[in-house]
Amino acid sequence: MNTTLLAIGAGIAVLCGLGAGVSIGIATGHATDAVARQPEASGKITSTLILGCALAEATAIYGFIIALLIIFVL
Amino acid sequence: MSLKELLNEALESRTVFTVFGIGIDESTVVTWIIMAVVALLCFILTRGLKLEHISKRQAAVEFAVTKLQSLTQDIAGEHGVRYAPYLITMLIYLFFANIIGVFGFKPPTKSLNVTASLALMSIILVQYAAIREKSLKGWLKSFGRPTKLILPFNILDLITRPLSLCMRLFGNILGAFVIMEILKAVVPVVLPAVFSLYFDFFDGILQAYVFVFLTGIYIKEAIE
Repeated sequence: MNTTLLAIGAGIAVLCGLGAGVSIGIATGHATDAVARQPEASGKITSTLILGCALAEATAIYGFIIALLIIFVL
Repeated sequence: MSLKELLNEALESRTVFTVFGIGIDESTVVTWIIMAVVALLCFILTRGLKLEHISKRQAAVEFAVTKLQSLTQDIAGEHGVRYAPYLITMLIYLFFANIIGVFGFKPPTKSLNVTASLALMSIILVQYAAIREKSLKGWLKSFGRPTKLILPFNILDLITRPLSLCMRLFGNILGAFVIMEILKAVVPVVLPAVFSLYFDFFDGILQAYVFVFLTGIYIKEAIE
């Protein structure tokens, strides 16, 4: 029973990835629009996109860490 | 070795040997290895520098150094030039530390101790830069900018910024390491090499750059 609850808790914790996935998808869509509008700025747009994705990914990683802690420490 | 034991081993860091009763971790030993490699590289690359008729090696080194300096200057601003050496050193160390998983060692940044100390160093440097630029009273007053309402959030920033720096780096590198370990245990033939291009190289370099970029942004904001 205890391990079941822990497993459910860990599963819920990893749901944080949903926000990161959706937001990075939307950001990439906007970046593609921007590159299509102005192809000569594609270098700057790409690097801004990559930086923004790395920062947005952090919240998903927090969820992953909490899930790891739940499984291995509790 | 079952998957559970594999994961348990990936998460802990063993004590390799003890010196005068202080246990030395794996992460410390790998950091020493990185330090030795970087020091050796610096020594080899800077021998016999000339002013004219420079060799190709010197041209490459000068190109790399000017590139790094302009990068950190963009991030930290003109007044932040005195903090450029710290940022460049951090970038080089994190670059090697995150990638060294490819060469068979365990990346030192996979342990929370290393990333927490790096984040602590960065935040102490940011507060030192703020105090040096604005003097103690100005620094204390800057918590009330732009409005007094933001005061609790500014104080909270002192805690959440290093926490997020630490956790972002730790989570990314640990996640990449765990996935690579599982992959190597399940399909040891071709897949690890292909996936390590993303997990080890791309993720490691990106997280190193993000760490240094965020520290530079905090410094620029503190100096203003």
